[in-house]
Amino acid sequence: MRRADAMLLLCVAAYGAYAFAAGSSYTLRVFSVAGIYALAAIGYQFIFGQAGALSLSQGVFMGVGAYASGILALRFGLGFDAALPFSVGVPVLLALAVAVPVLHLRTHYFALATLIISQMVLLVAVEWQGLTGGANGIGGIGGITILGMPIRAGWPLAATVWVCVALGAALSAWLMRGRAGHAYAVLREHPAVAGAIGLDGGRMRLAAFVLSAAFAGFAGSLYVHVIRVISPDVLGFPVMVTLLTIVMIGGRLGVAGAVAGAVLVIELPEWFRPLREYTLLVYGAILLLVVVAAPGGLVGALRLLLPDRAPPAPPALAASPALAELSGLAALSGASGLLLEIDGLARHFGGVRALGGVSLGLRAGEVLGLIGPNGSGKTTLVNCVTGLVAPDAGRVRFAGADITGLRADRVAHAGIARTFQTVALVDDMTVLDSVAIARPRTDFATARAQAMTLLDRLGVADIAQRRCGGLAYGLRRRVEIARALALQPRLLLLDEPAAGLNETEQADLSRRLRGLAADGAALLVIEHNMAFLAPLADRMACLDAGVLIAQGTPAEVQGDARVIEAYLGRPAAVSRPA
Amino acid sequence: MLALQLLFNALALGAAYALVALGFVLILNATGAVNFAQGDLVMAGGYGGLVLARMLPVPGVVLLPLLMAGMAALGLMVALVAYFPLRRRPPEAVFISTIAIGIILQNGTNILFGPELARTPALLGDGEFRWLDGVGGGLVVSAQSVAIIVVAALLIAGLHLLFSRTQFGRRLRATAQDREVASAIGIPVDAMVAATFAVGVALAGAAGLLLARGFFVTPNDGGNYMLKAYIAVTIGGWGSIPGAVAGAALIALFEVVFPALPALVPALGGPAFSQNGATIVLDALILVILVARPQGLFGEASKARA
Repeated sequence: MRRADAMLLLCVAAYGAYAFAAGSSYTLRVFSVAGIYALAAIGYQFIFGQAGALSLSQGVFMGVGAYASGILALRFGLGFDAALPFSVGVPVLLALAVAVPVLHLRTHYFALATLIISQMVLLVAVEWQGLTGGANGIGGIGGITILGMPIRAGWPLAATVWVCVALGAALSAWLMRGRAGHAYAVLREHPAVAGAIGLDGGRMRLAAFVLSAAFAGFAGSLYVHVIRVISPDVLGFPVMVTLLTIVMIGGRLGVAGAVAGAVLVIELPEWFRPLREYTLLVYGAILLLVVVAAPGGLVGALRLLLPDRAPPAPPALAASPALAELSGLAALSGASGLLLEIDGLARHFGGVRALGGVSLGLRAGEVLGLIGPNGSGKTTLVNCVTGLVAPDAGRVRFAGADITGLRADRVAHAGIARTFQTVALVDDMTVLDSVAIARPRTDFATARAQAMTLLDRLGVADIAQRRCGGLAYGLRRRVEIARALALQPRLLLLDEPAAGLNETEQADLSRRLRGLAADGAALLVIEHNMAFLAPLADRMACLDAGVLIAQGTPAEVQGDARVIEAYLGRPAAVSRPA
Repeated sequence: MLALQLLFNALALGAAYALVALGFVLILNATGAVNFAQGDLVMAGGYGGLVLARMLPVPGVVLLPLLMAGMAALGLMVALVAYFPLRRRPPEAVFISTIAIGIILQNGTNILFGPELARTPALLGDGEFRWLDGVGGGLVVSAQSVAIIVVAALLIAGLHLLFSRTQFGRRLRATAQDREVASAIGIPVDAMVAATFAVGVALAGAAGLLLARGFFVTPNDGGNYMLKAYIAVTIGGWGSIPGAVAGAALIALFEVVFPALPALVPALGGPAFSQNGATIVLDALILVILVARPQGLFGEASKARA
């Protein structure tokens, strides 16, 4: 655990000790409610923090859990524990029903969809009076019982709630340890990269959303047995606002943030009694202040103030396992045929033709240089091959299999890796983790050891423990290539790998890329820099306005009249033969 | 005849909604961010009209320019507090900051005015015209509804002229199209974004004054109006200005016609056709649209190629 997070948890524990010692039943009740909100907030961190999607239905998931538990208690006499499969299950089902259609939509649509669901649930609860008691709700719900044993109000209740918080926090920290936490960081910061390194972003978002709902449902079922009534209040937007404020104040990442935020936000009105009428107004003001001044919340600010001591030493190079396996990229057996066959690939954006039927082939061990003026469709070609963009027409075959329109993460798993035109690394992640996260099907410790080998291969092993944010451009490029290699691709697509590198760095990169090709990988390199590309490439192809206008050896393509025209424009009419 | 009456009512309601949605989409295009406070700004416009009316006992139509000027100033403040500090951050930062602005407006109004229903003065008067009394119940046309339609039409036409005929409007459009390019060709982008907030919030305020006569206003109304603007812009095509107007008209039509369906079609009936029922059905329809046609009914005003 980071030092800052531990410190925050200590503060909460100290306050908890005070609440138990002071012992007034009211203080303990407020502290219990704070714990319940902490659980819902820990859940909210999965979707809003880890997955980075602005869900506005966390409050309603909590409310649905409360209604489920409350109604089961009233109508069927089910205790808190017996009702849990339903009070957690119903919000989870609701989340699944919402998520499957809308979770892939962009932020503003997802936020809207979750908002609409919330409004619908609230209205249904108000209208369905026979079940829910309508706008007035139903009172007379019993307290928490566990295995038939009633939990008394006061310290037993507060202790029960906070044991649940501790378990929930531990579960959340356990789920997000190691690889998962890093994978969510990539998904959140660079969704396109997540697909390119084989992460199934859709499934990850779904998992986060369902976890959010489960935690909220659990919190809601505790809540209803503490306040002893069900009413539409628990489904209202103020609950959502409170959860949002908690997570923004505490921090979107790290359970310590959710717990500390919940205690602060729920206890605040108690500490400033005369201002209670203004509670929501104050929440609004604090929310605004935090968004503007401290977007990382308490955890973020404290992590800056209390940086961690030196990170653990990276795995020793010599001890790296599977060195032999990694040293040669998985070569294609029987590399006689084409590894990549692109046939008539076309893609339009609105009225713009980005690709107008491009056909290309690439053999194992071959380096193909792809050139063309800006906007000629080079990056779109790479995006279509790697599944980031679906082509309108045409086929892509890879190692004999049709991969046209395959999802990005599946393309990556098939053995195609890529880098991006603008380097896309997570600033807050170490170089080693950034590469290790792309190693498929290995435990994270092994992945880190293997990543060391790759970093060494790219000549950047010495910076393995540095965070990516502070790296020079040339180093970031190499880390990105190492990350692509971590997939053990048979085909590597590089989008302007030499951009921003000085001549020494370019020569070094060129040598390393040739080495990859010698190991049997196929490389497609988009580049404008001819001095870099011409010696590197076995063959070159030139795109102009989405059409292939030349193909051949570097010398042939560079000398081609149409290529020169595409780059330099048509020679003046007078100089042309009649 | 009932159908004609409903159509007229929907037109008046849709005209007011269109102003809300227009303000929302203008700010959306200029900043790339959702202004979650748009509905609360409509509500604030209603209370602004109320305060002005207490100071100046004149018809609403005279108060309207004053109110819009005041709301424009409020819009500048919103931009200053909730947008400019966050313009280099992901769009959801503005989403959250405007949620905060909404909370502040809602609860501030609640403290100042209390939760009771409030009402703004009529634009011109509360008269009613009755036509064709003999035919199927006749047609009742209130002066307020006519005034709403006329005022909204004038505002929308004025906006159209501003955008299409003036240099200022062209600069606003350029800013909305692409902030970086606009800045590169010397347009003061920050000033344009601030101006857009002023215009967008002034429109919200005008809508607040128009709506808070017939439908009253309470501090908690904001969320509802915000959702309507959000939905109008979603079904009209994210970022499309004509789409926002069309979306607003469709929502108004639905809201007016749905509860009246049992009267139009006697076979239908039951509690499903209540106001809440209408909202639930509308919400479900929007979800279907989001799933089936996320680009909206008329296509998204897409700016990015990829």
